Formats: sequence, structure tokens, C-alpha cells
Amino acid sequence: MDMLRITGLRKRFGSKEVLNGLNLAVPEHCVFGFIGKNGAGKTTTMKLILGLLKADTGEITVNGEKVAYGQTATNRFIGYLPDVPEFYPFMTAQEYLHFCGDITGLNKAENEKRGRELLELVGLSGEKHCIRGFSRGMKQRLGIAQALLNHPKLLICDEPTSALDPVGRKEILELLLAVREQTTVLFSTHILSDVERICTDVAFLDHGAADLQGKLSDIKTQYRRDEYIVETENEADLLLLREAFPWMKQTGRNQLSFSEKDGGMFEVMRCVADKQIPLLKIERAEPTLESLFMEVVEK
Amino acid sequence: MKTLFALIRKELLEQLRSGRLLILGILFVLLGILGPATAKLTPWIYEMLADSMAESGMTITPVPVTALDAWVQFFKNLLIGIIAFVLLESGIFTREYQSGTLVLSLTKGLERHKVVIAKAVILVTLWTLGYWLCAGVTYGYAAYYWDNSVVKNLLFSLFCSWMFGLWLVALMILFSTLSTSNTGVLAGVGGAVILSYLLAMLPKISEYLPTLLTDGTSLIYGSAEPSAYTASLIIVAAMISACFAASIAIFNRKQL
Repeated sequence: MDMLRITGLRKRFGSKEVLNGLNLAVPEHCVFGFIGKNGAGKTTTMKLILGLLKADTGEITVNGEKVAYGQTATNRFIGYLPDVPEFYPFMTAQEYLHFCGDITGLNKAENEKRGRELLELVGLSGEKHCIRGFSRGMKQRLGIAQALLNHPKLLICDEPTSALDPVGRKEILELLLAVREQTTVLFSTHILSDVERICTDVAFLDHGAADLQGKLSDIKTQYRRDEYIVETENEADLLLLREAFPWMKQTGRNQLSFSEKDGGMFEVMRCVADKQIPLLKIERAEPTLESLFMEVVEK
Repeated sequence: MKTLFALIRKELLEQLRSGRLLILGILFVLLGILGPATAKLTPWIYEMLADSMAESGMTITPVPVTALDAWVQFFKNLLIGIIAFVLLESGIFTREYQSGTLVLSLTKGLERHKVVIAKAVILVTLWTLGYWLCAGVTYGYAAYYWDNSVVKNLLFSLFCSWMFGLWLVALMILFSTLSTSNTGVLAGVGGAVILSYLLAMLPKISEYLPTLLTDGTSLIYGSAEPSAYTASLIIVAAMISACFAASIAIFNRKQL
């Protein structure tokens, strides 16, 4: 079953159409990377899922239930971490989690137990200071703790790593991987290396729609194009190759690429051997997320 | 109910740790002392003046001071208390809009009307405690130095001013659900009060306006009868209820 399903979602702010008939399906127990440029509509989509914004048209279901704007009952299935989570600065981490437990209706014993577990999980159990003095990374970790408090079926994280240093990023990614057992994770990002590290499924959001989505491995296979990269030592050698094979594309200073359908690999190698061109490397290119992303964005 | 208590506890903690509770406490006690103190010092100031005036040939006869003078000062000084209260508490909603702290609570399935109720409970409690503390201090001093029995309609006049404060609280909440900035709230509340003062210049409708309730002085001198305030009290009570109902309805649909 799909934990989250979005069909024909449209949202316009004034004259700017942010979402233009978005369709999205997030299967259960996956780590779903929601990829898009800044301003592509990722945060808007998430706010619509949470019922914080009103959709113009379209339908969203979470765990099979329809999302309503304003009084959003489906939020009981969701844990949410905004891009810059803000907490009450006058509370300690423990007090804040306790407050969250109270408003989600956990009983006293459960609330205390869960609070302790989560602070332990995110590494804030020894922290006795008020949130006012927390660093961004600490706030982000507390954000994950509060999002996981009521055992959500869907954890939504809005660019959880964008504002963090490499250490903070690593910690957050590891946390997200660790909670995958318990919940479905949907996270938006424009950092592609994060996606490669932890995501099982992805969707590329561009111009308010997600044309490309599915299992990351499937998408990569689908976009594999038997492409080769040849890198020479200097420009003169590169010119020799280009003369022989005008259909090669120059992709770097001393780098050419070509695909199998334009000409045979062996033919190229023969030429390299005949003309004794020294090579730095020759490789079969795997489609990277970056190339996929660029392809989607430029389409 | 548990959710509501948690919210109220959170609001109280914020008032306490931000120092607002302390500031309000000190302010209202000081204002309570200020009324009787001014009344007590008046003869002394006159005496000081009398010496210098006598040299220029003017004589000032000493005026007898009673508890009435202390209460007249109380009603005058109350305006400062009201303005300070509104300034200190006008951000109770907008602070949360601007920092985004409400979003997390609401995405946990918190019902929106409870936010409005919890904040209303805190504002009404703070106003009530602060106001009656202030009145209590004045009452104590006035009883100690003079005799409160010469003051007519004391409790009723105090009740009227307290209702005026509640009206402001209701307006603060209403404008907090309409506006997203502190300035918007202050402008809304200030605008409503100024409008009421301006309309009070038209004699035909002045008895129906909320600002009439701030005129405690006429009541304690006995120059106005409590019955003259009934219409205004009923209208204010109705406006308070309407503001609360509207606030909840608006807040339920507010984009955060």
C-alpha cells in the first residue's frame, strides 16, 4: 500500500503556479527522496500534505485517509520536521518533548519513557540547557526526536541537512536510516549525494510536477545509456580523436563522451592503439543522479 | 482537557521565564501604590508651593485629602497599566507565527481552537490578577491612611474598568488571529480604542461605548449612577463573546 498518495495537486500563489498537477506515490517503508531546485515547490507540497496550506485542486491521502485543510486529522500519522525547526526557546529539550507528548495525548508514564528513549537516540539526553542556546545541528536532532514522538507512520523532513556542516549532516542521515525500520521517510533535498546515500525511491520535482519517480535502482537502469568517457592527457591528443570521430561530444577540457549507438567502442580503441594516443582513463559511465537531475530540469 | 492544560502550562512557563510575569507584577503593585502616594503627597506639595507663593502674595489654603483622591489617581494611573499590559502581551500569538513554533504543535494533531482558548485563559488570568492586585494595594493604603467608606460604588467602578480590560484582551486575541505581526495587533487594538473615544464625543451614543467604563471617577463621586453603565456593560460583554467566537473561527482557517 502507498503510505502517501497525491493526485492532480495544484497550488497557485497569486499569479505564480507552484504546483501544476503533481502526482506522487510513496510506498510504505521506503526512504523517499523528493528532489528539486530551490523554489520548485517542495516545501509547498509538504505544507499541503500537513494541511497547513489549502490546495486549489487535487487530492492527498495519508495512510488511505484524505487530508483536510485546517483541522487535519491525518496528522496523527505524520511526524514532521521543518527545514528550520523552531522550538520554544525557554524550554529544555526534555520539557519540549514532554509538552509534545502531552498535546499528542501520550499518558504520563509512556511520555516519560518515550522522551528518554528519543533523547538517547538523537544524542541529547545529557543536555540540560534551554533550547535558546542550541546549535542548528542540535535543533535538527531535537526536531527528529519530536517528529518521531508519536510513532508516526510517515516521517516528513523538509531539507533536513541543507543548513548543516558535514558532521551534522552525517548524523542526521544516519538517524534517518536508523528509523527506516519503524516508519516511512519522505525527505526533500537538493543535495544529491544525500539521496544516493540513503534513499530507496526518488521523485524529481520540476515546474510543479514530478515526471520522473520510482525506485532509485529502476530509474538508474532505465536511464543507463551505454555511455563511455575517454580522457586524454593533453588537448592535442583530444583533437586527434575528434578528427577521427566527429560525433564525440567534448564534456571536459580533455574529456570526450560518446554513446554505443553512435559508434563502436572497439573502433575507438583501435584508433587509440593505431595513433598511440596516451589515455588517462576510459570508462563506461553510470548515470549519476546529477545527470538525471539535469536532464529532468533541462527538459 | 489534558492538551489544554499542557498548553496553559506552556504559556505560563513562557510568561515566567521571559520575565513578563515579574514585570507585570511589579508594574501593577507600583501603580497600586502610586495612587495613594500621590494623594498623600498632595498637601505636602501644596505646602511647599504655599511658602514660595506667599512671597508673591498668593495664599493657598490646605485641601483635605480623602480616600476619594487616592481612587481618582488610581483610575488615572490605570491607563499606564493598560497600555503596558497590551504592549507586553500583544505578541502572544504573533511571536509564534513569526518563529513558526505553532506549526510543529499543529502538525501533531493539536486542535486549533485549544491554542486560542489557552492563550485567552492566560491573558484573562494575567489581566485579572494584575488588575485586582493593583486595586487591592490601593484599597489597603487608602484604608490605612483614610477611610474607604466615603467612596461611592467602589466595587462597581472597579468592575467596570476590569471589564474594559477584558474587552481589550478580546480585541488583542481577535486582531492576533487577523494579523500576523505585532504591529497589526497594536494598530487594531489602538484603533478600536481611539474609535470608541472619538465616538464618545457624540453625546447620544456615548453611554453605549466601551470607553464609558473607564470613567470610574464619576461613579466614586456619586455623580453618575451605576444604571447609566448598564448598556455599555452589556454591549462590551456581547463584544467580548463575539470577539472570542470570531477569533476561533478565523484561527481555524488561518494559513500558517
